[in-house]
Amino acid sequence: MAINRVSRAFRDISLSFEPHPVTKDLPILKNENAIRRSVRNLVETIPTERFFNSDLGSDVRSSLFDFIDFGTSSVIETQIRTTIENFEPRVDNLFINVDPRPDDNAFNVTIFFDIVGQDFPTQEFSFLLEAIR
Amino acid sequence: MPFTKFTNLDFDQIKASLKDYLRANSNFTDFDFEGSNFSVLIDTLAYNTYITAFNSNMIVNESFLDSATLRENVVSLARNIGYVPRSRSAAKAVVSFDVATSVDTASLTLQAGLVCTGTTNESNYIFSIPENITTTVVDGVASFTDIEIYQGTYLQNTFIVDGSLDQKFILDNSFIDTSTIVVQVKGPSDTGLGREYSLVNNIIDTKSTSEIYLIQEIQDEKYELLFGDGYFGKKLEDSTVITVSYIITDGKEGNGPANFSYQGRVLSANNAIVVPTNNVTITTTSAAANGGDIESINSIKYFAPRLYSSQYRAVTARDYEAIIQDIYPNTESVSVVGGEEVDPPQFGNVLITIKPKNGDYISDFDKEQILTKLKQYSLSGINQKLLDLKVLYVEIDTAVYYNSSQVTNVNDLKTAVISTLNTYAQSNINKFGGRFKYSQVCKVIDNVDNAITSNITKVIMRRNLKALVNQVAQYELCFGNKCHINPDGFNLKTTGFSISGKTGTFYLTDTPTKDANGKLTKKGVVSIVKDIDAQGNYPVEIKSAGTIDYETGELMLNPINISSTVKANNVIEVQLYPESNDVIGLKDLYLSFAVGNSKINMVKDTITSGEKISGVGYKVTSSYLNGELKRV
Repeated sequence: MAINRVSRAFRDISLSFEPHPVTKDLPILKNENAIRRSVRNLVETIPTERFFNSDLGSDVRSSLFDFIDFGTSSVIETQIRTTIENFEPRVDNLFINVDPRPDDNAFNVTIFFDIVGQDFPTQEFSFLLEAIR
Repeated sequence: MPFTKFTNLDFDQIKASLKDYLRANSNFTDFDFEGSNFSVLIDTLAYNTYITAFNSNMIVNESFLDSATLRENVVSLARNIGYVPRSRSAAKAVVSFDVATSVDTASLTLQAGLVCTGTTNESNYIFSIPENITTTVVDGVASFTDIEIYQGTYLQNTFIVDGSLDQKFILDNSFIDTSTIVVQVKGPSDTGLGREYSLVNNIIDTKSTSEIYLIQEIQDEKYELLFGDGYFGKKLEDSTVITVSYIITDGKEGNGPANFSYQGRVLSANNAIVVPTNNVTITTTSAAANGGDIESINSIKYFAPRLYSSQYRAVTARDYEAIIQDIYPNTESVSVVGGEEVDPPQFGNVLITIKPKNGDYISDFDKEQILTKLKQYSLSGINQKLLDLKVLYVEIDTAVYYNSSQVTNVNDLKTAVISTLNTYAQSNINKFGGRFKYSQVCKVIDNVDNAITSNITKVIMRRNLKALVNQVAQYELCFGNKCHINPDGFNLKTTGFSISGKTGTFYLTDTPTKDANGKLTKKGVVSIVKDIDAQGNYPVEIKSAGTIDYETGELMLNPINISSTVKANNVIEVQLYPESNDVIGLKDLYLSFAVGNSKINMVKDTITSGEKISGVGYKVTSSYLNGELKRV
C-alpha cells in the first residue's frame, strides 16, 4: 500500500483566481508567499468584518487620518504587532517598521519575520498604508 | 472524515465540519490559519450554510402552532382554526356627575371621546367613552349616573369602499380594545354616519343581509375588519363610507385610578357645544379595574385548539374553560365541576368558579353577563351556576440557612427568596386544580443563591372565614385536604374575633375526640376560648362550639353572633396543618401560595461558614409544629 507523504508545506488558494496560462489550474500560494498574504490579510481586515469572529483584524484604518508622524507610526506598529501575534502562529521574531511619509500622506510599512519550523531565510515585505479619500 | 452533519445550527460547528472535510480531502493546508485566503472562503461558505440552516429551521418551526414563536405566525395559525386572540382590554371605572347648564335644551349629550383624567402612581391616565351618552335636563341639570368610562384615547378611522378585491380595512393603531370598536356604515341611501354593524365571532346564523363584520389580528398587534360577501353577511357597495371608532388603551397599567377630574364635552339637543355653569365634580362608584394586556402567545397556543375542539358547544369541563376565557377575557383561572360530583349531588347543574385577573370576586353584573353569554353555548337541560371564589391559602414557615461568608446583606438574600417564591407561585401554584409541591418549593428556596445551604420548611393551610357581623350565623369551611392531628389539640388556630354580648377577644381551638379505647376518631370538637389571662390561661368560653373532621378538612361552627374581627374586612383567618406537605386545590378551591403571609426566617449556618465547625452552638430549627393556641 502506498504511503502518502504528508507535506509540511503551507498551501493557500490565491484570490486572484487567474488560471495558470498552460495548465489552467487555479493559482496556488505556497510557503512564504502564503504566509505573507496571510499577514497582509490580517492587517487589512477591519475588526467585526469577519462573521462570528469580531476580534480578527487590525484597526490601522482608524489611524490613517491622524497626523503622519512617528506617534501615529508607533500606534500602527502596535496594532499590526498585536494582530499578527494573536492570529498568525506561523511567524516568529517579528520586526515591524512603520515609516511616516508626510509628503505622500502615507505610511510605509515593512514587516520582517521568520517562519516557524521551516528552513527559509528571514522574510521581508512592505506595503503602503495610504488614506485615499 | 465524511461530511454528514447536516443539522448544525452553530456557525463554529459548521466551520469545523468544513475544515474536517478539507483536512481529509484537499491539497490545501492553510485553512486552519485565520489570516489565510482559504479561511475567507470557508467563512463565506459556513455563513451561507448557517443562514440556510437557520432559515429552514425557522420555517419549519413557524409552520406549526406548537412550535411557532413569532406572534404574527401564532396568530395566523390560530386564525386557521377560527380563533381570534383577545385584545388589550381597557380598565373600566363607573362614575357619576352632574352638568348644570343655562342653555334651554331638553337633553344633553356627552360626546364619545375624552370624559375625564384619573391619576394613579403619579401617572395620569385618560378615560373616554366609546359612544355618545344622552340624558335629560331637569331644572337645568343633566345627571350622568353610573356611566362606564374606559381608560384610553378615543380615535376614529374612515374608509371609502372602492370595490377592489385587494382593499383592506386595517385599523392603524396597536393597543386597541376591540370591545370598544363601533363600526358605522353609510350606504348611498343612508344619512348621518349610517347604520351600525355588529361584531360576530363566527358565521353561524349569519344571513346574506346580516349587517355584520369580523375582526382579525394582523401584524404589529393591529386589527383588520372583514365584511360580508353577500352570502355570509351583507356585501358593501362601492363608495360606501365606513366609520370606525375605537379606544386605544394602556391595558393593565390603567388599573387603579379612583379620583377623576372632568374633561368631557357636552352638546345640547341641537348639537351646540354647552359650557357647564357648575364646577363638574365626579363621584366614583367603582375605581378603574379589569384592564388587561393582549393575549400572550402561550395563551393563544393553549386556548386556540381547545376552543376549536369545543366547537362552540359547552359540553366538557375543558369546553367551559376555553369558552369562558373567550367570553370573559378578565379570567385568570376557571374551575368547572359537574353537579354530580358534589356532596350532596346537584344533577343538571354545572358549578363554575372564576378567578378574575384583578381581585378575587366577580361583580354580580359580570356574573349575569357571563351566564347569558354561556347560554348560547350550553346544552339544553343543563344549568350553569357561578359560585364565588373559595381560596385555600398555603403558607410556609421556613428557616433558611445561609453561609454568612458568602452574603454581604442578609436582607437582600431574604428579598431574593421572597421574590423567587412569588414568581414560582404565579407560574406554578396559583390556579384551580393547582398543587403545592413541597419538594419543589424546598428546591426553589435552596436554588435562590449559592449562599443558601438548606431550609427547614413547615406548611400551613389557611382559609378566610368571612364573618356576617352582628348576625347569628352558622359557618362551614372546607379545606379539601386531610389535616394533621396533634392528639393534644392546637391543630386549629384562628385570628381573634368578638362575640356579641361578651367582652374580650376570642379564638377557636380544637380537641381531637377519642373512642372508648383511647384511640383517635379523626374527628374533633371546636371550642371558643378567651384571650390569655393574667395567669397565662385561655379560659374556655364555649366548650362545644362546632365540629371538625380532620379526614376531610371540614370545619362546622354552630350558630354564633360575631360582632367584629381583629383582621380587617370581617375576616377570621383559620389555619390547619396538612397531613401531607403537598396540598391540593380540591374541586372549586382555588389554591394560592400566600408568600406575603409566610414566615421566612434567615438563619446563619455556622457550620458551613466555618464559624463553629464542631457544631456546638448551631441554631437548630424544629421540623414540627408549635404549641401556640392562636394564629400568630
